[in-house]
Amino acid sequence: MGDTELELSPAQLEELQKSPSASSTSTTSSLSLPSSPSSGPRPLTSSSPSTSEGLPTSSPPLDVISEGVGELSLVIDTEVAKKACQEVLQKVKFLKADGEVSSASSEPVLVNGTAHPLSTDGGKPPKISEEEAEPVKNVRRRQKNNSSKQSWLLRLFESKLFDISMGISYLYNSKEPGVQAYIGNRLFSFRNEEVDFYLPQLLNMYIHMDEDVGDAIKPYVVHRCRQSINFSLQCAWLLGAYSSDMHISTQRHSRGTKLRKLILSDELKPSSQRIRREVPQPPPSCPPPLHHGQGMSEHSLSPSKRTHQRSKSDATISISLSSNLKRTASNPKVETSQDEPVRLTPQREFIKSLMGIGKRLATLPTKEQKTQRLISELSLLNHKLPARVWLPTAAFDHHVVRVPHTQAVVLNSKDKAPYLIYVEVLECENFETSSVPVRIPETQIRSTRSVENLPNCGISPDQRASSFSTVPNYDNDDEAWSVDDIGELQVELPEIHTNSCDNISQFSVDSITSQESKEPIFIAAGDIRRRLSEQLAHTPTTFKRDPEDPSAVALKEPWQEKVRRIREGSPYGHLPNWRLLSVIVKCGDDLRQELLAYQVLKQLQIIWEQERVPLWIKPYKILVISSDSGMIEPVVNAVSIHQVKKQSQLSLLDYFRQEHGNYNTEEFLTAQRNFVQSCAGYCLICYLLQVKDRHNGNILLDSEGHIIHIDFGFILSSSPRNLGFETSAFKLTSEFVDVMGGLDGDMFNYYKMLMLQGLIAARKHMEKVVQIVEIMQQGSQLPCFHGSSTIRNLKERFHMNLTEEQLQVLVEQMVDGSMRSITTKLYDGFQYLTNGIM
Amino acid sequence: MAQIEKKAGLLRRTSSSKKPLKEKVVLMYDEIFAKEDPTKNNPRFWDELFLMKVNLEYLEGKLESLDGDEVMKIKDNINSLFHHCVQALGEEHQIKVVNALQTLCALFRGVHQKNKSATGFDIINMLMGFDKAELRMKELMESLDSLLCGDGSESLKSLCLKLLLCLVTVTDNISQNTILEYVMINSIFEAILRILSDVSSRAQHGYDAVVLLALLVNYRKYESVNPYIVKLSIVDDEPTLDGMGMVIHHALTEYNRQYKDKEEENQGGFFSTLSSMVGSMFIADADEKLSVQTNEAILLALYEAVHLNRNFITVLAQSHPEIEMATTPATPVPASPTTPLGTTPPSLDMMNNPELPLDPNLQTSNLLITFLKYSSIVMQDTKDEHRLNSARLCLIILTCIAEDQYADAFLHDDNMNFRVNLHRMPMRHRKKAADKSIPSRPLVCAVLDLMVEFIITHMMKEFPMDLYVRCVQIIHKLICYQKKCRIRMHYTWRELWSALINLLKFLLSNETILLAKHNIFQLALQVVNLFNMFITYGDTFLPTPSSYDELYYEIIRMHQVFENLYCMVLRVSTNAGQWKEPASKVTHALVNVRAIINHFNPKIESYAAVNHISQLSEDQVLEVVRSNYDTLTLKLQDGLDQFERYSEQPREAGFFKELVRSISLNVRKNVSLSTMSQDVLLKEFSSIS
Repeated sequence: MGDTELELSPAQLEELQKSPSASSTSTTSSLSLPSSPSSGPRPLTSSSPSTSEGLPTSSPPLDVISEGVGELSLVIDTEVAKKACQEVLQKVKFLKADGEVSSASSEPVLVNGTAHPLSTDGGKPPKISEEEAEPVKNVRRRQKNNSSKQSWLLRLFESKLFDISMGISYLYNSKEPGVQAYIGNRLFSFRNEEVDFYLPQLLNMYIHMDEDVGDAIKPYVVHRCRQSINFSLQCAWLLGAYSSDMHISTQRHSRGTKLRKLILSDELKPSSQRIRREVPQPPPSCPPPLHHGQGMSEHSLSPSKRTHQRSKSDATISISLSSNLKRTASNPKVETSQDEPVRLTPQREFIKSLMGIGKRLATLPTKEQKTQRLISELSLLNHKLPARVWLPTAAFDHHVVRVPHTQAVVLNSKDKAPYLIYVEVLECENFETSSVPVRIPETQIRSTRSVENLPNCGISPDQRASSFSTVPNYDNDDEAWSVDDIGELQVELPEIHTNSCDNISQFSVDSITSQESKEPIFIAAGDIRRRLSEQLAHTPTTFKRDPEDPSAVALKEPWQEKVRRIREGSPYGHLPNWRLLSVIVKCGDDLRQELLAYQVLKQLQIIWEQERVPLWIKPYKILVISSDSGMIEPVVNAVSIHQVKKQSQLSLLDYFRQEHGNYNTEEFLTAQRNFVQSCAGYCLICYLLQVKDRHNGNILLDSEGHIIHIDFGFILSSSPRNLGFETSAFKLTSEFVDVMGGLDGDMFNYYKMLMLQGLIAARKHMEKVVQIVEIMQQGSQLPCFHGSSTIRNLKERFHMNLTEEQLQVLVEQMVDGSMRSITTKLYDGFQYLTNGIM
Repeated sequence: MAQIEKKAGLLRRTSSSKKPLKEKVVLMYDEIFAKEDPTKNNPRFWDELFLMKVNLEYLEGKLESLDGDEVMKIKDNINSLFHHCVQALGEEHQIKVVNALQTLCALFRGVHQKNKSATGFDIINMLMGFDKAELRMKELMESLDSLLCGDGSESLKSLCLKLLLCLVTVTDNISQNTILEYVMINSIFEAILRILSDVSSRAQHGYDAVVLLALLVNYRKYESVNPYIVKLSIVDDEPTLDGMGMVIHHALTEYNRQYKDKEEENQGGFFSTLSSMVGSMFIADADEKLSVQTNEAILLALYEAVHLNRNFITVLAQSHPEIEMATTPATPVPASPTTPLGTTPPSLDMMNNPELPLDPNLQTSNLLITFLKYSSIVMQDTKDEHRLNSARLCLIILTCIAEDQYADAFLHDDNMNFRVNLHRMPMRHRKKAADKSIPSRPLVCAVLDLMVEFIITHMMKEFPMDLYVRCVQIIHKLICYQKKCRIRMHYTWRELWSALINLLKFLLSNETILLAKHNIFQLALQVVNLFNMFITYGDTFLPTPSSYDELYYEIIRMHQVFENLYCMVLRVSTNAGQWKEPASKVTHALVNVRAIINHFNPKIESYAAVNHISQLSEDQVLEVVRSNYDTLTLKLQDGLDQFERYSEQPREAGFFKELVRSISLNVRKNVSLSTMSQDVLLKEFSSIS
């Protein structure tokens, strides 16, 4: 009995399929099925031995339905499916009203729901935790009445076409708790990465939509939180950020805040994991619970002295936290200091330190002071590394081991102090379970010599006398020193590598050998002077250091070059799993719009890839930490067009020729093509999202010729200071057109063609794009949602009603309009006057 | 200063309390100085003694008043006293420990003061007895070690350090202090490090610990294997080294601040302007006021750390927000993460500590910057011996730094720019540069500035030849590094060139006076070779082609100096005499400079003649220079980019011996065991016991 409830036999399905209006009992059982997640993250697969033959094991058992109609589901067109779905949905919505009434009358006991509706189900595994069980009753209730009508919808949900995007869409649009609960459970069957993309949407729905949706989402979130520290923190941060627009009084008691507290209290420990770990895992699997300091469990980590010290960094952070909390005078009794969870603490503390630095930098008046302060603060931060901390923007698991503090730069910003840091990490299997790397002191590369460097002790006087001698070309008995020193120079000084003029160093060696020959060597003064000017001319692509724009030099340096340089200077550089990451720390900025833009860009990128339109865009990752702080993954090998122009004093085209070679060289043509593809991509983005504030400081140019738009502070309904500038569809200056080869060139036509293709492709998948934006509008005070027509306008910009010919005309018009647009020029002039941006 | 005052206060108190009636403790001392065993009459004599408040003056005075033979007669009792002191250190009763520590100190001092001539062995015999000495000292050191490392009272730790300082400085020449042999065997190095690595203990005892370490390192440095040297050189624990750096940083900052205060005191106000109007006859007085007691002990510690421990170099660049010590007396040393267990990392500390000022004018500083500022103050005035020694030590430290590749790397790091306000001597012919106008530059610029500043301000009759030589060597070492690594500093090299040329000019015009005392040819050779570096290797480290032109311009402009120098060295080298050899080296070194002058001067003259200009402008000269490079041939000289590595032994050994002697005297004078008044101790321990 229990089994039949949990899964459908093929016969039942057959029956269900043939007679949509079959008996209510059988459908009830079929629909209640997925809402029992107690059997694990994938409840549907594990319990269906009877249906598994002939089916991919990973697909839910109800695929049988589509299996039954076999070919149909494969031929099904997305649009058709969607339409069908929408029809069904309409019906469901319509029926919902009835259901409400009838259920209320037929099962009054369950409204307050202490009685467990499933308790009657004989053989079913009984234990379902409360939070997860709650929706079930609703499902049950609804299904009794609507089951027959919903089976179509169900078939869609179980079909292969049903992806996370559709899931999110139904979760948002459906007012039917049954559907919501079903999808909530269905979330378990998607890959984590797929769901992660929609995490902001899920959590925003959780915070701002009605209870049913929240109840549907919660089990999944809780489950994932138990699994992963990273997910827990992401959730906590997003929940905090998206709750911030609520009124303070409601916020405190809102569901979002509660869930956030629950996560941060670290009660969501890995329940299943714990069991798993207890058996095979050695002690260092999770940070030791050190509240009162000095390592209880450290000794187990490693016998070596240094490990002993450094493995405490986790503890260090938690200790420092509690001691800090004690210190704040305004808040003498801080309750959190006691129950601050250890699992999440190191990372939270790390992020907090980075944000604290940003806050303090903002108080300093000049870039120079900020830079100095930044470097000194980071050097102190280094003392606490390595630790069980990581950069959430990275794509792989790792531990942060060192921040090369002298490489950090303060970015250009008027009153905030965003800064860019480079972070050395060691890649690892799993940052939660892999042990934290051992600290290697800064001086490690040199420390081997410490012992030899006892110039005057333990050496007999005559030995000492011999050590007192000149060092001719570093080849006497001091060899160990000097050879090393030279090696070290290469480690620490990039110049020596970048310099190609080996003849000079040869030359200086000659100067010593000449001593023996006693033959005087003559050199021409002119040669020296010439070499000097030549060498300086050899390095034109580096930017000059400008105290007012410290980031220009750092960003201009090729990434690979920088990685190599930092790696050589790092005590961890020799490790094979060493990686360099970078991150921009933003403090005092709301990154929620940036995150929204990232999601839209990413979605469009996927769509264009799917539709094989060679548009190039670069969505960069955003980490929202709160409503006024976050982190951004920097675009590497890219500098802003403003910096390019200021530093090179060239037109964009001339700069392209300087960097990539003359017209018709393959390099130039490649760069030009990259430029066109990225330009077309971003023009569409700018149009669709109405990205404003497009001055040259916000457009980057990478080393391959792509442009990358950054700073999505003004999108959709918001515009800077409402000056009404930038009325053109997107920014297309004559300089850009010049790089494309002029208005009559093939590349310019290619550009317009790409735009058209891109727009057509985007239009085809409009729903996917719109839903991202639409869900985030819920409960949001963000300026980009200002007014009531944001979504309508967004939809209109996809021009669903136009034919492709009409679209082509539209694109032509937009390009024309932007080109002639005086406002773009005017805006650049305005920026130059106000911000000094060229 | 404070210590002295307190001591004076104490002295006054004791003298006033001198009554005909003797204190009990004094009676007990008298019993010890009798030949009888004091326990004969009173078996609990020793227990009682250590419960008594120590009368240091009486005990010391008594010991001093005895001559050698008399002491030998009561040797057993003194041995016994020493023995019981050491035993009392292990007592739980803290008052006893305090009294034992103070008594020990009085013993060490008293015995030494009387027996300056006595050999170390006699003294050991007197105090402990030959047969027991090793055991007693082992016990003593172990007790001190556990007191220093334990969680006991901070005052006790402080007393332990004072006792050690007292022991280390009882002789003028530290190497003659034979008792220290036992301190070498029973090392307390680890205890010192421990103090330095812990934030709170560092704040309270860091200074004493660092001075003690610096002194111990200098015990028989050149004659034997000193375990402290060996150990110090291999320390690689960052928090400990940082802690040491902090203590030094703090002490130097304090000095800089005091100096600045005094300077402002002297400058500000109506009275000072009036007094300066009155005339320059009081300038000497003003200078006197400006001199703040220099602190060679801490400088010596810095030297030993830099010289012996390569890891310490990183500490130099470790930056801290510069905290005005006066405003935050409660947290004297900016906290840093000390142990890896890290009580409070400063960044977090700063974040959450509202008291700490977020002053936008707050400069980020590091030990090196503070040291450079300190040096700039000390080097201003080298007239008296102390300051001369301080300045010399500063230059020696800079020499060590300039030789270290890692230090060079961060000195030249383009990312680490700092504004370093060096103190400049007020001089008639130059305005005091506005502090704010100093650009933020890599630290090497500050070092070069300091060297240039020194060069132009010390051309005086009492010519500090030794300092000049070191100064030019430092510049040379830095340039060698730049050449080797092809680092192009945007430094105003012109200032350096003109300073060097002026130096040559000074040497020339004071030839006879200077030659009587110094080998001026060595210095002249170094200076000329610096020019040779620029001339032949300028392409590898000069920032722009025009800076190379400017070099030629400067040489041509000052050609008279070089020509005179050539005449002089030629003259000396043709005469037989002690200077023949060094002078002839200079003649050879001048070959390229002379080639330049001989090549360009006629060209410039003809240019002037052709264009009918009497006085060429700088641009015109540069024009001539630029267009005539190709016909000039230079001779490549050997070994321009090589230098002697710094080596303490044997060249500097004498200097350090004297320095340590003067530091010992100074420390001995200032260590006062009675700084902590008995009341404070009593108050502290009454609750414990």
